[in-house]
Amino acid sequence: MLSETHRLGRATAAFALAAVITIVFNTALAWAKDAYQPLSRFMNSIAGHNWTTQGLADILLFFGLGLVFRKAGWAERIDPQRLISLLAAAVVVAGMGLAAWYALF
Amino acid sequence: MNIQMSDLILLGHAACGILGTLAALWVFVEALNAREENAARIRRGAAAVAICMCAACILGGSWYLRFYPAEKAMILGGPWPMAHNLFMETKEHLFFITLILALYLPIVAAEKLHANAMARRMALCVSLLIVLTGMALEGAGAVINHGVKVALLRAYVK
Repeated sequence: MLSETHRLGRATAAFALAAVITIVFNTALAWAKDAYQPLSRFMNSIAGHNWTTQGLADILLFFGLGLVFRKAGWAERIDPQRLISLLAAAVVVAGMGLAAWYALF
Repeated sequence: MNIQMSDLILLGHAACGILGTLAALWVFVEALNAREENAARIRRGAAAVAICMCAACILGGSWYLRFYPAEKAMILGGPWPMAHNLFMETKEHLFFITLILALYLPIVAAEKLHANAMARRMALCVSLLIVLTGMALEGAGAVINHGVKVALLRAYVK
């Protein structure tokens, strides 16, 4: 029988923090490109459509930050329960933020 | 019966999305009962979530870029413009959140969930968030579909 541990692994913690940042970034970018059309046009010019550019940016940011955080070991120092709560809160706030933005503006 | 490529892409997108959501529910239930014996099954389930959501993204993105503009015009000219203005706009950006969670799930599942309470809690949290956002996306898809339907019905009645 293995003894139970209460720490997240290095990669799990690093990519959790990367996911939190990417999820918040995704909503902020959606707001920004909707409010500022030159940004939307610029994103259209990168990958043919602003939606495609946003998706690629999200994926690159998630894996890029995850690899950086894993190497640096910063995320491991965060309390795991706090990281879990942060991720859940980021998803709820970012999701509600998107719906509220498009409902109101 | 005339089935076109756009129909196959759209239905494939919805099918992959619901399969990914169901796979996340499967991972959630397995993680609730995490043992050494089901560790490989949890990892396979997490991989299935990531694969299904990536496929849903590629198919949905392809359809959105190539075929949606015509339907968007119909929705905006019909009685339910909010099907685009609220539901499609939210769905196309909310999907990236689900995708990031789906890509993260296999990383969590690589841990020994049966021997790590925090990793198990993280797997439960991530898989549940995928289920909830996945269901919201499916619901939004149904509203968008209905937006096109009521626009076409109104045009037909006229």
